[in-house]
Amino acid sequence: MWDTVILNPMINSLLWIYDLLWNNFGLAIIVFTALIRLVTLPLTLQQQRSTQKMQEMQGSKAWQDMQKKYKDDKQKLQQEQLKLYQEVGFNPLSGCLPTLIQLPIIFGLYGAIIRALATTPTQLLELANHIYDFIPSSIIPLNSQFLYMNLGQPERLYLSFLPNIGIPVLTILVVISTYFQNKLMTPPTGDAQGAQMGKVMALYMPLLLGYFAYTLASGLALYFVASNLLAIVQYAATGKVDFKKLLSFGGNSTPKPKR
Amino acid sequence: MARRTLRLPWAAVGALFVAALLLTGCSGAALTPSSWPGLAADAETGYVANNQALYAVDLATGAERWRFPSEPNRAIALYAPPLITDDGLIVLGGFDKTVYAIHASDGSQAWAFAQAKDRYVGGAAQAGDLILVPSSDHTLYALQRASGALVWSFDTRAPLWAAPLVDSDVVYLPSQDHTLYALDQRTGKLLWSRDLSGALSDTPVLVGELLLAGTFGHGLVTLDPGSGTPGWTVTTEGWVWGNPAADDAAAYFGDLSGTARAVSLEDGSELWSYQAGSDVVASPAVGESAVYFTTSAGAVQARSTADGASLWEVTLAGPVNTDPLLVGDRLLVAIAGGDVLLAALDPASGATRWTFAPAK
Repeated sequence: MWDTVILNPMINSLLWIYDLLWNNFGLAIIVFTALIRLVTLPLTLQQQRSTQKMQEMQGSKAWQDMQKKYKDDKQKLQQEQLKLYQEVGFNPLSGCLPTLIQLPIIFGLYGAIIRALATTPTQLLELANHIYDFIPSSIIPLNSQFLYMNLGQPERLYLSFLPNIGIPVLTILVVISTYFQNKLMTPPTGDAQGAQMGKVMALYMPLLLGYFAYTLASGLALYFVASNLLAIVQYAATGKVDFKKLLSFGGNSTPKPKR
Repeated sequence: MARRTLRLPWAAVGALFVAALLLTGCSGAALTPSSWPGLAADAETGYVANNQALYAVDLATGAERWRFPSEPNRAIALYAPPLITDDGLIVLGGFDKTVYAIHASDGSQAWAFAQAKDRYVGGAAQAGDLILVPSSDHTLYALQRASGALVWSFDTRAPLWAAPLVDSDVVYLPSQDHTLYALDQRTGKLLWSRDLSGALSDTPVLVGELLLAGTFGHGLVTLDPGSGTPGWTVTTEGWVWGNPAADDAAAYFGDLSGTARAVSLEDGSELWSYQAGSDVVASPAVGESAVYFTTSAGAVQARSTADGASLWEVTLAGPVNTDPLLVGDRLLVAIAGGDVLLAALDPASGATRWTFAPAK
């Protein structure tokens, strides 16, 4: 089921793009990432609209009053919040649903990159059983070289004056771009739990993805960087991006109540 | 309040950890072995390389004689078919980018060569006083047999996953860059090369004046060994991974569509074929009147060389992608991914003589 619906279409799309792009797997990953972001654009926009609605609601006087009034009774506060959601027609799941839908895509893409590169006999045999008939066998094995990197191996840059120290350039780019994406795209929240969660995600997400980039195939790290940059560009295109946020540390501020 | 600020981050970190497990788990890389066992044998001993060790197995009893390294080493992953040299060395490369030469008598290390930039998948070949080792770093290394010192090297454009074929002074090198190279054995200089339109992952076979090579370009190709001029070809539905085994009249091979076949050495015309039921990765073994095919589903199938009639079939507990070997009155079959690593079968009936499962 997983192979048929997610993995096989992804592997074959990746191989097809690779064939079109002069057998350059790095370019194929970047273009494929862009296509994935394009396909999931409606979900992303829905998520942004939902977040904006939530933000507006949390900035309202009614919300702030409610927080003060029931600050010692969490159960009552939750009931009142749900009531307010219903009144304004807001579904709290509408924000996280698009994210949940994108998770299989991320997992599938990682599996597709690793399987397409097929650096061991078992992986190559598995790839042979995933390829559709229209993919020419002449592209096998894939050229895993992109710039100075082998996309099937973790990336390290060795400089002539530092021959024994490999610099994980892509890992650094993954950490920085994930941090920037979180800072720019995570909205301020009036909810203390939400603010705490935002801080944790802003700190741990770059470290987690950085760990993946450091230890796993660099093709995945290239996907992370491309995906982060494209997400920022996509968000900037909606006119909502505030680059001043990059200078603020310690999470995003709580919105001020509307009078 | 303080309790909540502690719980919240751990919940988020926990979620991220689960995502990490899913991400690495979805690749399957952590659970699946990287390759299948490598197998070689002389008259008395079978040598089977599988992951962290090379095992020497007594062919009479199936008992372990020694293993290399003697203690488990997680850094080593050995899958290449071992080479047995004239002077009693076992040579094979590992996924740790190192070639090991081991004394066949007791499993002690004679020398090691660690200059490659990528892993070794394919087996080595002996050419006089040289050991030729293909590496996934695209390079064929020619090493001194006695010391492991580098004599010459030859670069290609893609990983090398199969041992070269040595005939007199010529080395025939199959590469995944779709090319078969003919090299001078003493110097490593290129004599000729031929693009075969598909990756080559097994050692070519020389039968008389005919060089046979299977390709991922959906077919079997024949060449003139002197010039590389192409001869007849056989088009197949799936990739040809394992090269043919041949007798005087026919070549026997399978492909990844599961078709096993015999073709005439005269012109490549099909003599017989059948559906093996799963990928045929390994080269078959040929006996006097029977040919033995194996499949990724664990089947070992004995067929009559004359007409392809089924003689017997057994199914083992794991994929059999390693080339089976006929040694005396035993058919040796290496099994991937199970407790039993090696089985000795009766070539006449398929009955199991013994099995070898390494002690943990």
